[in-house]
Amino acid sequence: MKILIGIISTSKGDKLYVLDDGQEMLINDDGKNQKDIYGNYSFLKKHSFKINDYPVTGPGVFRFRYGPVTSGIREAGVFQLYTYGEKILRATIDLSWKYREMAGTMQMTSPEAGLLMAERVCSNFAMSHSVAFSQSVETALEIKTSLLTKNWRILLLEAERIYNHLYVIYKLAAAAAQKVLAAHLSALFEEALRLNEQLTGSRYLMGINSIGRLNNNPSGPAVQKAVDGYKNLANTFTRLYEHGLANYNFLDRLHTSGTLTPDMAESMGLTGPSLRACGIKDGLNTTTSHLISLPVITQSGGDALARMEIRAGEIVNSCQYLIDHLRTSDSWIDNEETQIRKDKTGGTGYSVVNSPSGALGYYLNVKNGNVQDVNPFTPSYIGMHAVSHALEGAIFTDFPFIFDSFGIHFTDASC
Amino acid sequence: MIKWWPLYGLRRKLTEQKKYISPVKLRNATTKIFHRSLFIYILDAGSSNALNFEINALESPQYNIHRFGIYFTDSPRHADVLLILGRPAKAMLEPLKETISQFPEPFYIITIDDFPDHPGLMDYPELPNHVAALTGVPSPSQILGLLLDISKTKRR
Amino acid sequence: MALIFFLSLSLFIGGAVSSSKIKLSYGFGFAGSIGIFLIGCYTLVHPQPKILWAYPLLHNLVLTLSIDHLSAIFLVIAAISWMALALYSIDYSNFYAQKTLPLGFNISLVGMVLILTAQDGFTLMIGWEVMTIFAFLMMMGRDHPFEKAYRFLAFGEISTVFLLVGFSALYFTTGSLSFESMNKGSLFALVMISLGFIVKMDIVPFHGWMRGIYGEIPDNTAALLSAPVTLMGVYGLERIIPLLPNNETWDIILILLGAFSAFWGSLHAAATNKLKLLPAYSTVENNGIILAAIGFYALAGNFLSGNLHYLALFAQAASIVMAISHTFSKTLLFMSIGHAKEAYNVHTIDEARGVWSGVGRIPAFGIVISALSFSAFPPLIGYAGEWMVLETLFQSYRFPSTSLAFFSALAGVFIALAIGIIGFAMVKLIGYTALGYDHGRKSLKIPSRLMHIAELSLELILVLGGIALPFIIILLGFPHLLIGLLGIPAPLVLASGQPVFGVISPTFIGLIMLVLLIIPVILFVKTKKKVRKVNSWNGGVKLEEKEYFSAAAYSQILEHVLRGFYKTREIKDKTYRRIKVEDVLIRPMTALPRLVKKIGERVASVLMNGKISTYVTYILILFITVFIIGMIVM
Repeated sequence: MKILIGIISTSKGDKLYVLDDGQEMLINDDGKNQKDIYGNYSFLKKHSFKINDYPVTGPGVFRFRYGPVTSGIREAGVFQLYTYGEKILRATIDLSWKYREMAGTMQMTSPEAGLLMAERVCSNFAMSHSVAFSQSVETALEIKTSLLTKNWRILLLEAERIYNHLYVIYKLAAAAAQKVLAAHLSALFEEALRLNEQLTGSRYLMGINSIGRLNNNPSGPAVQKAVDGYKNLANTFTRLYEHGLANYNFLDRLHTSGTLTPDMAESMGLTGPSLRACGIKDGLNTTTSHLISLPVITQSGGDALARMEIRAGEIVNSCQYLIDHLRTSDSWIDNEETQIRKDKTGGTGYSVVNSPSGALGYYLNVKNGNVQDVNPFTPSYIGMHAVSHALEGAIFTDFPFIFDSFGIHFTDASC
Repeated sequence: MIKWWPLYGLRRKLTEQKKYISPVKLRNATTKIFHRSLFIYILDAGSSNALNFEINALESPQYNIHRFGIYFTDSPRHADVLLILGRPAKAMLEPLKETISQFPEPFYIITIDDFPDHPGLMDYPELPNHVAALTGVPSPSQILGLLLDISKTKRR
Repeated sequence: MALIFFLSLSLFIGGAVSSSKIKLSYGFGFAGSIGIFLIGCYTLVHPQPKILWAYPLLHNLVLTLSIDHLSAIFLVIAAISWMALALYSIDYSNFYAQKTLPLGFNISLVGMVLILTAQDGFTLMIGWEVMTIFAFLMMMGRDHPFEKAYRFLAFGEISTVFLLVGFSALYFTTGSLSFESMNKGSLFALVMISLGFIVKMDIVPFHGWMRGIYGEIPDNTAALLSAPVTLMGVYGLERIIPLLPNNETWDIILILLGAFSAFWGSLHAAATNKLKLLPAYSTVENNGIILAAIGFYALAGNFLSGNLHYLALFAQAASIVMAISHTFSKTLLFMSIGHAKEAYNVHTIDEARGVWSGVGRIPAFGIVISALSFSAFPPLIGYAGEWMVLETLFQSYRFPSTSLAFFSALAGVFIALAIGIIGFAMVKLIGYTALGYDHGRKSLKIPSRLMHIAELSLELILVLGGIALPFIIILLGFPHLLIGLLGIPAPLVLASGQPVFGVISPTFIGLIMLVLLIIPVILFVKTKKKVRKVNSWNGGVKLEEKEYFSAAAYSQILEHVLRGFYKTREIKDKTYRRIKVEDVLIRPMTALPRLVKKIGERVASVLMNGKISTYVTYILILFITVFIIGMIVM
């Protein structure tokens, strides 16, 4: 199954950035019937910051603006909800409020400086951005990274997945006024951030990854302590989540909220938990195949509840994955040295990683040791389109469940 | 079967007793009227989201900010402190000024610039009562230390 | 007395004659109303019935005008409304310069005076017809909405036909048309005459004429139709109920019809977004409540036991207090809305935002006070009225029969719902028009001194009327309903039952509210806090015009939840959406003219098809029919 996640305009015409069963590839855009093959071709081509900008008129219809400064969604962004009272008739999402020219500022910098920027596109996806960026540079410059580095990158990506998923479920519980559940989940969320700090020294896993290597490999007693920490976290979360699922008040809010049909999810180019919640596998789990592929969880509901269940399952899976591999990480031997070709100063590279909310890809050129034409493709941009469609026909009280269940961020979408 | 939350919730004590130390000194002395009651409004001007997550972490039971009388509010008109996350993106300059104009007096402004070297962002406009400017991504306990300095609440 | 009475009448007629000088004509109307008011006041204090005029038309038909206590009550209520309206109309005539308006106004006032003082069916019907026809004349506004105005006339005539049939039946059984002979009347006469009055009160399903027309007629006409004209229906019922022999089933029907009408009116008042249709539906609601109270009064009056007798009196007092509240509040509401509407030159609630800052404090305050009175806000008089009606219906357990208790309690449920929903509707009216943001819009400068005086005096009456409720109750002739309780001195507490069921004291509430209002004001003035004005908080960006929360959106949730009643439909398009609600009880009324038109066309095509033979046959059949009818009559 091919999923289009972005379109790159180069000097030699447009190229489609396609995910083929989890494997990234570029296809030349011949301009013919691409619209029929990829449902998201038109909006990715346009790449507008105003998503679904088709106003609705009628007697009593008005535009309810949510943002840019609100405390419900603290990020700077605007939802323009067309409504005649309770029902959302159309949701236009304006990403321009948080536009920080991230891709622009990465141009003409050294790969290391660019990496620093990439980590700050969306700091809660710092590891995903960083790995995708560094892997792209590595392909461009034909750098071969050591197995140890690759393994650690995968483990840290899972660590990022755990705290992001915890955050999403915490947000959903808080929106449903499940105060006790939310408080305990936020405690676990803080716990996960502290485990990150224990492993890497940064709560958001920033500054550990570098081009071709890690700045420092986690090792020693800190890793063993982290193993205990993740064990504890998985156990507590499992019990807490089971307790939470026994509450119909909570489930009723999520059930059938923001339902996406499999066709819709696929044609929009969704990946990650949002796609898997519609029963479709995106194949992204194979990116970790040199350790062991992650098990894939799918659900068939396509609603906020299905998305949450997938995230809950993935938290437990990732914890188990981390526990298994962190335990044996002492015995990993760096048998493949990182090989850097001194003569290679240019090239084109692209790479995709399995971020907590879906496929996150980078495409870039390196010329004379500087990165150029950096194109990040984030799950949030496509996710915003999905949110906009899922909101249509919903009522206002469902808004937080729909938005939060996608686990996407304005800063990630507007880079 | 519906399970009873209070039994689950009360079984564990998550609140920590720590010394919360602010990374910066206050620029001006603050009033005493916010002693044990400090309401904070948060404005994300252009942060990279780490700060948003840190604020969520600060709301976790480990820090239990409510025991110090610190609360986050939903409207600037109810707030005593404006916490600006990140340096403003271009579009956010006007909303930032508008938000400041809504504050009842007295109020204080804290800025946290998580990425001082970022070239694509604007400088802060003139900020009244700007009592503290942090850089980088401070941890929740550091932010809490700063808030306690402003409200002059005893740490316990 | 008779002198002042006829002087007032001649003033009205003078007004009608001088209708080419519009302002002068309204001035005559004002002066005449003062006369009527004085007569009413005098009779309230000295309630001996007085015959003003009697003219023996036939040997058993004496046309009589007289004034007694009940007439006086309604004369005073109506005259206050007329005075305010006449004063208001002098300024208002700048917008509507038609001469038919003051002509219709003055003559319909004459009609109403005749109704209120008539002592026999014939005089009453003369007054009734005069009022209906000249009120119809007033409906010719700027756009001459003939077809819709004819609907009003049609309903007016239906009412007259009911009265005609009813009084004919009365005449056949008793041989007299005078009110004194009514105690020998039949059930048929009771049903027909009360139906005649009910139609005039715009009770569901006789409210069909007002949709579409209320937006187009001048506001003083709307106020007249909605307040004093419907008051005539109330008066009629109050007059005949103690006279005609009673029937329990008919009383229960009246209660249920009133309660359902209240519920239905409130439901559609909440859904409408038109500036004048909302108060019009509120009339349906309020008159429904009044009808239910009158029905209860009639029902409880059948029983002789002490507490039910008390209850009957209490219900009668409730119906009159409600009528007072409705007449004053509705007159004020239409005057204030008309003022705002003309100053902005708009028709919908959405367009008339910010009356307080955009048009003026007095009309805005008028909307607020009258709407609060309709929402039963203490200590206004509407609060007292609606409380009294609810208290009455909640004491239905005192009836010996279960079915009577059940049906009156059911009516109580409907009325409680109606009061709740009308509060919702009135908040919409207050929130958007009177207290909404004007968004910088400026209104036209209009001469409004007399308008202000009229509005202000009714505002004062509504507030003081609530606080001085014990005084009003005494004047109405129910001093024994007042007691003293819990340290509040004797006549200030109104008790709803015997033994005591529930009590209120609007006077006391008013005093407490006054004190609670004064303390913060004093504190505010003393401390002299610094005031800083800023934009309303809207997420850091100024609100654009298309982002204003619309009035339709306010009530959409109700329209969705109660979609069974509203027949809510969504009209969908890619870029266009709207919600449609429908008053299904209007359907038969709109279907009738269509049916008549269709039959007319069909008949015309059969008869007037150009063949002379058909035509001759038609004339022949008609002639034979008339002949046979004549034979039967002979």
